[in-house]
Amino acid sequence: MSENKEVLLKVEHLSQYFGPVKAVDDVSFEIMKGEVFGLVGESGCGKTTTGRSIIRIYDITGGNIYFQGEKIAAGSDIYKIQVKQAKNNLKEMTKRLNADSKVNPGNKNENDARIKELQEEFKTLSEKNKVLAKEAKLAHKSADMDKVHKIQMIFQDPIASLNPRMTVKEIISEGLVINGEKDQNVIDEKVYSILETVGLVREHAGRYPHEFSGGQRQRIGIARSVIMQPELLIADEPISALDVSIQAQVINLLNDLRDTLNLTILFIAHDLSVVKYFSDRIGVMYFGKMVELAPSDELFARPMHPYTRSLLSAIPLPDPRSEKNRTRMTYNSLAAHDYTVDKPTLREVSPGHFVYCNDAEELKYKKEFNL
Amino acid sequence: MDKILNVKNLKISFRTQSGTLKAVRDISFDLERGRTLAIVGESGSGKSVTSKAILGILAGNSIVEGGEILYDGRDLLKISEEEMCTIRGDKISMIFQDPLSALNPIVKIGKQITEAMLLKNKTSRKQAKDEFNSTLALLNTNIAEATGDAAKAKELCEMFDKFCIEANKLENSYNISSSNALNVKEEIIDFIFRTGKAQKLDIKNSLNTYSKLLKEIKDPFFTAGYTDQLTSLSNQLNSVKGNFDKKTGVVGNDLISCLEEIKTLLEEMLSQTRPDFFCIGFYSMKNPSETLTGRNVAELNAMASSYLEEHFMDSFVPAAAKGIEHSYRKSLEKKSEVLSVLNEAKVYFSGEFDKKSSLDYAKKVADAVDATIDRLEIQKDSQAYTLRSSLNTAINKYFTAVINNPKEEERFEKQTAKRDALIAKGKTVDWKVIPKNVYDLDELKNNIVTLIARMISHYQNQLHAGDVDFTHKAHLMIDYFKDKASKVVYEVTPSMAKERAIKLMEEVGINEPRMRYYQYPFEFSGGMRQRIVIAIALAADPEILICDEPTTALDVTIQAQILELINRLKKERNLSIIFITHDLGVVANMADDIGVMYAGKIVEYGTADDIFYDPRHPYTWALLSSMPDLDTKEKLDAIPGTPPNMIFPPVGDAFADRNKYAMQIDFEMQPPMFEISETHRAATWLLHPDAPKVEVPKAITDRIERMKQKSGGAAS
Repeated sequence: MSENKEVLLKVEHLSQYFGPVKAVDDVSFEIMKGEVFGLVGESGCGKTTTGRSIIRIYDITGGNIYFQGEKIAAGSDIYKIQVKQAKNNLKEMTKRLNADSKVNPGNKNENDARIKELQEEFKTLSEKNKVLAKEAKLAHKSADMDKVHKIQMIFQDPIASLNPRMTVKEIISEGLVINGEKDQNVIDEKVYSILETVGLVREHAGRYPHEFSGGQRQRIGIARSVIMQPELLIADEPISALDVSIQAQVINLLNDLRDTLNLTILFIAHDLSVVKYFSDRIGVMYFGKMVELAPSDELFARPMHPYTRSLLSAIPLPDPRSEKNRTRMTYNSLAAHDYTVDKPTLREVSPGHFVYCNDAEELKYKKEFNL
Repeated sequence: MDKILNVKNLKISFRTQSGTLKAVRDISFDLERGRTLAIVGESGSGKSVTSKAILGILAGNSIVEGGEILYDGRDLLKISEEEMCTIRGDKISMIFQDPLSALNPIVKIGKQITEAMLLKNKTSRKQAKDEFNSTLALLNTNIAEATGDAAKAKELCEMFDKFCIEANKLENSYNISSSNALNVKEEIIDFIFRTGKAQKLDIKNSLNTYSKLLKEIKDPFFTAGYTDQLTSLSNQLNSVKGNFDKKTGVVGNDLISCLEEIKTLLEEMLSQTRPDFFCIGFYSMKNPSETLTGRNVAELNAMASSYLEEHFMDSFVPAAAKGIEHSYRKSLEKKSEVLSVLNEAKVYFSGEFDKKSSLDYAKKVADAVDATIDRLEIQKDSQAYTLRSSLNTAINKYFTAVINNPKEEERFEKQTAKRDALIAKGKTVDWKVIPKNVYDLDELKNNIVTLIARMISHYQNQLHAGDVDFTHKAHLMIDYFKDKASKVVYEVTPSMAKERAIKLMEEVGINEPRMRYYQYPFEFSGGMRQRIVIAIALAADPEILICDEPTTALDVTIQAQILELINRLKKERNLSIIFITHDLGVVANMADDIGVMYAGKIVEYGTADDIFYDPRHPYTWALLSSMPDLDTKEKLDAIPGTPPNMIFPPVGDAFADRNKYAMQIDFEMQPPMFEISETHRAATWLLHPDAPKVEVPKAITDRIERMKQKSGGAAS
């Protein structure tokens, strides 16, 4: 897939805040056409929120999302938040400078000039942001929803995500009906063929979700998303709620669909062995930040960020001898990094391998792996 | 190896609207002391049901159809609820799957940890008192009968009772003082901690309480040697009490240092050796004028103990031994008599009988057995004690089956006829006939006879037990009294419980337990909550810990932490663990022995090495090859289909439908357990000598090869 470099989805500085909680904070990545992009991290790190933001379940706070080169979502609230922060900063500074003037009357003129300067700065910022916010809002509103429909989602819990009062046919065809398909014969035909694609049979169409086992229900969820002929499938922990013996069935199904329907998949999970098996590239998230992004073999062979290392060291493996001698690495973000002077950014340490670090750390990682 | 828990032929089913669901079908396993037994299987395979049966917390619609769970010589399925209460939580404890729903959201963490300690203490005090009195009265009559000297027996026992009361008085006063001291110490540590963190605190009020409580510490034994220091420090506290800022709550240095001094003094006092009140009680009763305080505790103990030995025990022990012997012989005599009754009963229950007369007969037998019980025995003979209830249950079960079986047959026939008629008409029928829930009458009858036969062999063993050391038994009896007497006055105060809770919280790795103690569950993260659940489970120092999917709801990193914690606690406390999970990676980390369960049966059982390096059952193969590991590249071997519906259990091997190696016999007959090695068993027809040779799937041999290489070729 490496030769096919067409960017299907581009996420730029995506931020999603819920009140004071920064669920996703300035995350950028690209997904190429035809690849499986894995997203891992502990619960609460913002993987699911990222997936949901892409499909516009939430109105994003900041950043841009491009799909097939077109902007499908843009965040405007971040500009307001920036202005608010700047205002607070201004207030603080003014207060401090005024206090200084009272103590040292000699500095008064200088301080007054500085205050004026700051006020001027704030004014330009707020005006600029107003325009930007307006633009973003417009872009977000006028985004082409037909493009968004090319992205579909599979949900985590197959029991909770299917309406118990609808038959399988109604569930699967709902998207078609909403999009204006009225011909019952066409709907039937499509539903039957998609049922067969996901390994169910025609007779299942008339049944209700409760008549199915967990694995079959997840197949229904997959059929529902695939019938819209998506380009990109967001699979949000599609196997964590399933039994061990069923999980492999669903992974195999997704793998088959990826080949037959030429799908691109954003695979969100916390089980690292499955992500490794299934994905071409993997992004590791920690507290709303993307801390490492690399091709999956590269990530497992040369993990650089200490959080990735601690995550890899915690994977349980079905091998008693190595399990009993395993040493787990702990990760404490405060102890591991010193970001007081030099702020970190996501940078490309080796081709295709991105790490969230600052200059000193970049050097350190490069030296460690002889890059 | 020392087997601590023994599950034999356990069968459990659930009544549901659409029929009886067979959840556990005849499983047996042993848990060895200090080892971890992992039970692996999919949801619905009966793992959790088994663990709940061990704790006696099965749901209301469950039926225990047979089998036994032996712990400490007792069958946990037959003992009374009162007896179960002394085992559940105290000896066998459980960590639940979801820490969010296992904790009460509106009760503070500290209270949740200490709750059980306080409640258990309250009941145990009352119980100890009753047991002490009743056993002593029994001993009295037995000594009188044995020696023929009623007056002497009465005198001895009264004396014993009297000095125990005296000892209790002394001990109680000591306990009150020491618990007060502990309380003040805890409060002071709290006070210093909180003022150091600038937390809100009613400083004036708490300081007043401390000085009041310090005055209460006045037991002569407890304060001996420390009285002057205590008064001077308490005066000092009174003088510096006002030294704090009322507005900001900043406390002066001299106040803090004074409190620190009091704390160290109290710690020293609390760590002193405890006087042996049982002996001292006797001494002080005999010599009321002598002052005992202020002496060296060890010397005092030795002196009082030898005095007690000389003046009381020398006459009491032989008398008690005689009493115990008398009671023992009497019961033995009765036991040999009752054997004929039991043999008769065996014959009676082997023949024909009706409900009313058989229940009457059972009552007669149970009464006869009841009369033979040696009430003075400290280790109660649970088989004799529970005979009545087990006999009644078995008889009732038999007659319920006698009435219900024809009804079930009738229903089954009706339903089958209806279904056949519908099919004959050419209609599609989408429902199945609920299988008949018929009991084997002979087996049920046989159960009754086995009960009695077991009782007979049990008594015969006792009759041929040989010589018994009655003096030793008398000493054990005195230890028992001593233990009960001190239990009566042993009161766990909230501050003692708190001290223990904080120690526990530290042990399970919670930082700043003093602050965390006052928080609610929602203020904790998932991993921390699971640690709290573990702390609660460990509060009563159990021997067996059942972990029911303790890490399923947690993240990989947190999961690794919790597993490390459980492994550490296992080593430190010598716990035996039953670990239930579906994650083979977790099992590899934790388990010494593994039982793989499928559809209510154990299909493969062996050590961790057996299961992972030499799996034999197709289901184990499928489990191992269906999940990718870090080196898997090829297509996964998914298990087709779903587990069977256990309302309609398959006739043959339950896994046959999904098994690509299934043979004809798999659909017709259930495979027995084939022994592969001493530790390794598997239930599959593939192991039968006549079965065709089947190669282990390549994915698994490859993986085992890889694992062997990784661990440096150590596996062979």
